[in-house]
Amino acid sequence: MAVQPPAPAPAPDAAARDSVTLTLAGSGGDGVALLGDLLLRMAAHQGLYGMMVQSYGPQIRGGESAVVVRVAREEVQYEGDESDLLLCFRVADLQRFRGGLRLHPHGVVVLDAADESPLPDWLGRAERAPYRYAFSAAPAGQAAPDPRNMLALGLIVNALGWAPALAHRALEQRFGHRPALLAADVGAFDRGHATLGVPPLPRLAGHGVPLVVETGNEAVARGAMDAGLRFFAGYPITPSSEIMETLIEELPGRGGHVVQAEDEIASLGMVLGASFGNVPAMTATSGPGLSLMTEMMGLSSMTEIPSVIVDCQRAGPATGMPSRMEQSDLLHAVFGGHGDFPRVVLAALDVVHARETMHRAFHLSEKYLLPVLVLSDAYIAQRRQIRDAIVETREMPRRRTWAPQDAPLTLGLEEVVPPFHAPGTPDGTVLIAGLEHDEQGWPTADGAVHQRMNERRFHKLPRIAAETADWYRTLGADVAAYGLVAWGSTYGVLREWVREHPEYRVFLPEILEPFPLAALERWRAGLRWCAVLEMSYAGQLHRYLSGLTDLRGVHRLARSGGLPITLHEIAQRTREALQ
Amino acid sequence: MKATEYRSALQPVWCPGCGDFGVLKGLTQAFADLELAPEKLGVISGIGCSSRLPGYLRAFSFNSIHGRALPIATGLKVARPDLTVFVVGGDGDGFSIGVGHVPHAVRRDVDLTYAVMDNGIYALTKGQASATTPIGIKRERGLAGVDEQPLDPVLFVLSLGCGFVARTHSGNLPHMREMFREGIRHPGFAFIHVLAGCATYQTKAYQEEIRGRTELLPDDHDPTDFRRAMDVALDERFKLGVIYRRPPVAARPAWAGGGAPPPVEPREEPTPPDDAD
Repeated sequence: MAVQPPAPAPAPDAAARDSVTLTLAGSGGDGVALLGDLLLRMAAHQGLYGMMVQSYGPQIRGGESAVVVRVAREEVQYEGDESDLLLCFRVADLQRFRGGLRLHPHGVVVLDAADESPLPDWLGRAERAPYRYAFSAAPAGQAAPDPRNMLALGLIVNALGWAPALAHRALEQRFGHRPALLAADVGAFDRGHATLGVPPLPRLAGHGVPLVVETGNEAVARGAMDAGLRFFAGYPITPSSEIMETLIEELPGRGGHVVQAEDEIASLGMVLGASFGNVPAMTATSGPGLSLMTEMMGLSSMTEIPSVIVDCQRAGPATGMPSRMEQSDLLHAVFGGHGDFPRVVLAALDVVHARETMHRAFHLSEKYLLPVLVLSDAYIAQRRQIRDAIVETREMPRRRTWAPQDAPLTLGLEEVVPPFHAPGTPDGTVLIAGLEHDEQGWPTADGAVHQRMNERRFHKLPRIAAETADWYRTLGADVAAYGLVAWGSTYGVLREWVREHPEYRVFLPEILEPFPLAALERWRAGLRWCAVLEMSYAGQLHRYLSGLTDLRGVHRLARSGGLPITLHEIAQRTREALQ
Repeated sequence: MKATEYRSALQPVWCPGCGDFGVLKGLTQAFADLELAPEKLGVISGIGCSSRLPGYLRAFSFNSIHGRALPIATGLKVARPDLTVFVVGGDGDGFSIGVGHVPHAVRRDVDLTYAVMDNGIYALTKGQASATTPIGIKRERGLAGVDEQPLDPVLFVLSLGCGFVARTHSGNLPHMREMFREGIRHPGFAFIHVLAGCATYQTKAYQEEIRGRTELLPDDHDPTDFRRAMDVALDERFKLGVIYRRPPVAARPAWAGGGAPPPVEPREEPTPPDDAD
């Protein structure tokens, strides 16, 4: 007996959809990044939420590139599993994105009419036949073809049912200073938009109040400025460079300075120099840069000169995959460095959380006089995020500084943080040394003093732990029987996971060192099953937690980075682990 | 304030006869000459015998890590332009592990003074060859790198385009004092090569030879003539004095500090009585 084919799925029910995901693939010069950015800004203007991620080939400039734009009724921090629309100027370009792209069963594929190559099987099958458009044909009376990204913008805005005026406005904002280019782009957009027969996409309407677009790197830079940053030194490195670029633009206006250093060793050196001058200072880098800064991190802790170090993690080691995310700098951040020294490690969960994290970083570093590392990753750093309007809370962290009328220094386990001797204070001169030193700062080679000083410096950590005991986030119901422990940018997909799977609860630390262990133990009480989900081949979070608590029976759901963890993948991995 | 008042309570750990004692004295004299307030003084060093010097000063002193004094000093000066920032170190610190920072300090031209006490040896780690150890010494002592050419600090820094380059000798106290003063006054990055003897890992004969090769620059030396300065750097003799001083520029970027042009006439001052010790 012949197997009955499944009944065709009903047409997409517009009212039931909360989000639409658009994947735009092209080569260098196709302008898909601009196309995505325009769509995102149009969404934000009408009060829709969403995000855009860019995916590159192995090289950072040139070659194939794709952007994924997801627009949604509510804030999203995950790009979605499946594309409702795939726009692709050359089918061959798709090969690079194998494993990173899937088509929704109701999805629409838009191809160039001139390209008849078959779509690869791994993409998934859409029920609707690809829509073909002659992107390469010059319109009548025009020598050259229209810019294909603008034609595509017209097609997509039509498919989404958005008002063309939104696009006109976005183009005017972007190219208003170049009238000839603007006219050509608007003409191409209008021709694309007027095309008949474009398959419709689910309709989404925003709340009408314009929202803000910000990348994770911009959020880190601006959050740091609001938290009191006045000196930045850094060295360009993907995926963190936009932190420095944003600060070059914006920090001088706040009375601060940016120095582009000759390398990452110098970056943190300059930060320590500025901070030695009693000026809140920070650097930002990625894994390779953090490796170079490691000796200086120890100096920051030993000399009790505060520093903030942002690490936008990428896939490593060595050059690795510079534009791809991974969560494999965790153990370096927590344990890296020679000798014993206390430091704090914070983790940003998403673009919105990154601002709050920077306030916390400056608060802790300035209060406790030690290095604070902030772990972001490529997925947060370079994502463009639509978020609610920002309420700036400007503050200036205050170090407890020494004053001439202060009583002589008595430090110990009661008084763990010495008053800071700020240059310019009369009679406040001091020797700061990377050499072990006594309470007065005089160098020593006495083992007993070393023990006593370590004890005092390390006693900052329990103080910090007491202050940060609730720096974690949970998702899902307290009674859910299945648990996932995760950190960083996987927060975005897990928010959606628990919505679809109420049998799960999730624990995400916002501080990794000192770890909010009591909260983790409370959270996991009563769980039937638990796993650590992370993007590190070695399972660094699982290993780290194994040293802090009894992790017997807790599964390891660890894999290398490169591609974001999807809902589909969590379903598959948890299913396998549960068998 | 008297020169001795710029000293901290800490006693130097240097060997008897070390050239660094003279540098410490010359530096405190220069601070006194310029009437610098200790709380407005930042003195930064890396690691090495000479890098212990900041600890012996009454200043905001930072004895940091090997080779990294210049970036730390740069951060301090850019963040705190109100301070006078002086950087000290040895030949290992400045011309081996930290040499990568030198061109950039020159290029940025932040208002720092960098005195390298060059004894041509790693003394703190007990006598290994450094980037400035002459080939003859390496051969004689069986040190590593016999076939490697030593680096000439003055020629190197001049070739980078440094706006102030001077050389002095740790045995010539009045001259050192003057060079430190001139370096501090120079608006921008100033480099001072200090030929400093090591009493333990250099022989008396070697120290005598170095000293014997020094000679003051002639009175008619024009330090604004770059080609002439290069000739001086290439001279067999160690010429002491301000070898090159870039003519004052109208405006320096505010963030780099040292806005004022250098004084035309160097100050001639009598030696204070406390120098008798």
